[in-house]
Amino acid sequence: MDFIVAGFIRAIELLINFDHSTYTAVSATLQASTCSMLISLGAGLPCGFLLGYFNFKGKRALRTILDTLLALPTVSVGLLVYAFISSQGPLGQFGLLFSLTGIAIGQTILAFPIVTAITASIVENIDPELKLTLVSLGAGKKNIIMTCLWEVRYGLLAAAVTAYGRVLTEVGISMMVGGNIKYHTRTITTAIALETNKGQFADGIALGIVLIGIAFAVNLSLSFLRKQ
Amino acid sequence: MKMTQVSYKLNQVQHYYGDKKVLDIDRLQIQKGSITGLTGPNGSGKSTLLKIMAFAQKPSAGEVWFNGRLEVPLSPRVRSRVTLLTQKPYLLKRSVFDNIAYGLKIRRDRDNLENRIKAALENVGLNYDGFAHRQWHELSGGEAQRVAMAARLILKPEVLLLDEPVASVDTKSAGQIRRASLAARRDWGCTLMIASHDLPWLYECSDTQISIANGRLFSTGRENIIPPPYDLSQKNGPVKWLGTEGKAEHIELPLKKKTDGFAVIQKEKIRICLEKEKGNWDNQITCEITAMLIEKNSGHIMVTVHARDFSLNISFSPGQAAGLKLLPGKRLILMFHTQDIEWR
Repeated sequence: MDFIVAGFIRAIELLINFDHSTYTAVSATLQASTCSMLISLGAGLPCGFLLGYFNFKGKRALRTILDTLLALPTVSVGLLVYAFISSQGPLGQFGLLFSLTGIAIGQTILAFPIVTAITASIVENIDPELKLTLVSLGAGKKNIIMTCLWEVRYGLLAAAVTAYGRVLTEVGISMMVGGNIKYHTRTITTAIALETNKGQFADGIALGIVLIGIAFAVNLSLSFLRKQ
Repeated sequence: MKMTQVSYKLNQVQHYYGDKKVLDIDRLQIQKGSITGLTGPNGSGKSTLLKIMAFAQKPSAGEVWFNGRLEVPLSPRVRSRVTLLTQKPYLLKRSVFDNIAYGLKIRRDRDNLENRIKAALENVGLNYDGFAHRQWHELSGGEAQRVAMAARLILKPEVLLLDEPVASVDTKSAGQIRRASLAARRDWGCTLMIASHDLPWLYECSDTQISIANGRLFSTGRENIIPPPYDLSQKNGPVKWLGTEGKAEHIELPLKKKTDGFAVIQKEKIRICLEKEKGNWDNQITCEITAMLIEKNSGHIMVTVHARDFSLNISFSPGQAAGLKLLPGKRLILMFHTQDIEWR
């Protein structure tokens, strides 16, 4: 038990003293996850809306594929992205391997199905009276889409939080695509894995605290938005 | 009010949910500035008809003409002119103020918004200071319905379609909604179509009444549907049992050619007496008067009679009603010939 307590004390020291390696891992995590979340939300929300709102041939098959992708193992995504961006892969010339951009691409692939599938489910379950009401009040197509999205905003926030949670805590992509390079592509999760393997529990616990803190801050801000 | 212009014209309108035909209207015309009462049992197609007329749903087949033009859902020409209030309207997840302002905001009409919302709320009997800033979830069912009504009335629509607007609200809210809807015609000549089970109100306020059953329109008071189920297994022809199947009292129906359709009998083909008569009547049905209403335009008396599990509406002149000494609760005998029943 002593090493855990010692770890907590060391963690607080690292955070208070602005330890460079700790903060670069936090920074790398935030950069990659923010970038991947922006892309996933930007593409996933409209795709999810279209999938949930409209009926078309092949919709069920698409939903099944999307639902399967919800459980996508991060190492599989890492492997896939690695294959594409390594020097032998089709995107090799862009030099994305062992970069934060590469990690962000992998995390986008991870988050996009989550945002899309949850948005589609939320939109599918919109009260049919809503559309009827909007048409009755004279709304056009654009107004209907925008108002429907606004009406289910809390559900969409939940979709974003779920996807962010998955992106923030993944190890496989960051490890395989990022390479866990100190001060460069080392993220919080890869750092925790490495430090724990080295027996450096304090560093691992410090990063763990930061990770939990970020998750808490995101949820707190969303809960504040809901109250607004 | 002179009503010559046609607001709506429906031609051969049919609508299906899956394989089930829920609406089959050959022709329907609604005059501008009129109030039309729409009656019919649950599931008869009232809501579907109103949704189609509100251009919120495209019919499976047929044409809907509005102001002399063939129109489709979301057409800009109908969007700002026709509005529908349903029995349980959806309030947007925002304040009462924003709910009422929504329709105006999407029209980019923000002039004097606060005063107009104040007037709209007062029109449905709600106080601006007490309600404008309440959230959607802070309202009772009746208040929510009145807010929904205010959100529609503030748009000053050319047509207001009401789908059982007072079915699930308290007496006070029902009164406010009724007054507000009638004021819409008085103030800006709004055309109203009201679906309701509240027959006294409908007969009091509407210029014409139509009834709908299994998606088909019938002229209230002049023709009556003898509703299914029909027993088609009898040797001598189809039968409508009154009450439990096999009991003595029943209506003998003419032979049926189509597999679907309704048995309909015209009011003038029904003879009404106080006692059963000897003679060659195919059908003599005992019934009881359950409601009597005065028709607004003709001054005739609409009498609703119940015979076991179905009811008929029959229109009487005041003289006929006085001659038969009609009163609610009185027993009557309806007599008619099987050959006078039509299948439709």
